Amino acid sequence: MPETPRDAMEVNATVREALPNALYRVELESDGRGQALAHVSGGSSLLRLLPGDAVVVELMPYDQGRGRIVRRRGSGTVGALAAKERDSK
Amino acid sequence: MSVQKSWAELQKMHRACGIVVDTLVALEEAAVPGVATKELDRIARERIERAGARPAFLGYRGYPATLCISVNEEVVHGIPGQRKLREGDIVGLDLGCVVDGFFGDAARTVAVGKISDEARRLMKATEEALHSGIAVCRPGMRVGDIGHAVQQHAEAQGYSVVREFVGHGIGTSLHEEPQVPNYGPPGRRERLVPGMCLAIEPMVNAGGPEVRVLKDGWTAVTADQSLSAHFELSVAITRHGPWILSEPYPYAAAETEARHA
Repeated sequence: MPETPRDAMEVNATVREALPNALYRVELESDGRGQALAHVSGGSSLLRLLPGDAVVVELMPYDQGRGRIVRRRGSGTVGALAAKERDSK
Repeated sequence: MSVQKSWAELQKMHRACGIVVDTLVALEEAAVPGVATKELDRIARERIERAGARPAFLGYRGYPATLCISVNEEVVHGIPGQRKLREGDIVGLDLGCVVDGFFGDAARTVAVGKISDEARRLMKATEEALHSGIAVCRPGMRVGDIGHAVQQHAEAQGYSVVREFVGHGIGTSLHEEPQVPNYGPPGRRERLVPGMCLAIEPMVNAGGPEVRVLKDGWTAVTADQSLSAHFELSVAITRHGPWILSEPYPYAAAETEARHA
């Protein structure tokens, strides 16, 4: 019988909004988890995240409202372009 | 750090794990179209008690049954009930028992009647992922190497591994240190030492890794409703490599008394 992890857990998420100080509001894909605030640490490829980008977020079990973006997932530009298109309308 | 078991304690683990796997074999035969999941739970409890053990899950954090039965898109922790198995279902059976103070824990996903090739492929990949995790269980390796091996194997076949549940150390309690995730980078987490006992249990989804828990507070299902499979074995780390505790000690008998640590 498996147990729930006590330490950081990686979940898929989508960037919703870029906030100041390398902080992002992300939508967590696991049902019922909702949104979280996530920061990025280092990693130049993560410094230019845009709304719509697919990322992997590391969450701590004691505070699932906050996390750390650890990497991009798949092609980030697809979501970014779609988001730009949407914004320009 | 997990408790290192003595040779005598490993023998007790061996007994508990043997009872669990013998019961799973009987349950696999009993999992035919039309049987209620509750009936499988009854068989599990009866066999465990007849073997002189007692169910490990019953009452654990309020869990109401002996067996976890997770059908198709259910990942783990399905509660037995009136639901009847149907031809083509794949059914995760997760069972634990305690005897003489030591716990055994194992799981397997079984086919009900004839199943699709897709389901069979998922089950095969999950069982292989478990064994690729077991293969790295040697002193000097780390817990992260297990998860890495499992994840590599599952993802190479286009599947995903569940993050929300992890394997665990096992011994005088059902869940001991350390936790054993089925994912993550190699070379991290606790070092494996002889006498450590781990329940390694990949949960592999045909679709995405996301899961959610139903309103009963237990049953976990895949968020995208894709099929999920679950295989688990309890394994001891010995000086010579892994010992799957439900099987006979695999190394030369002369070495069985080897003291660890």
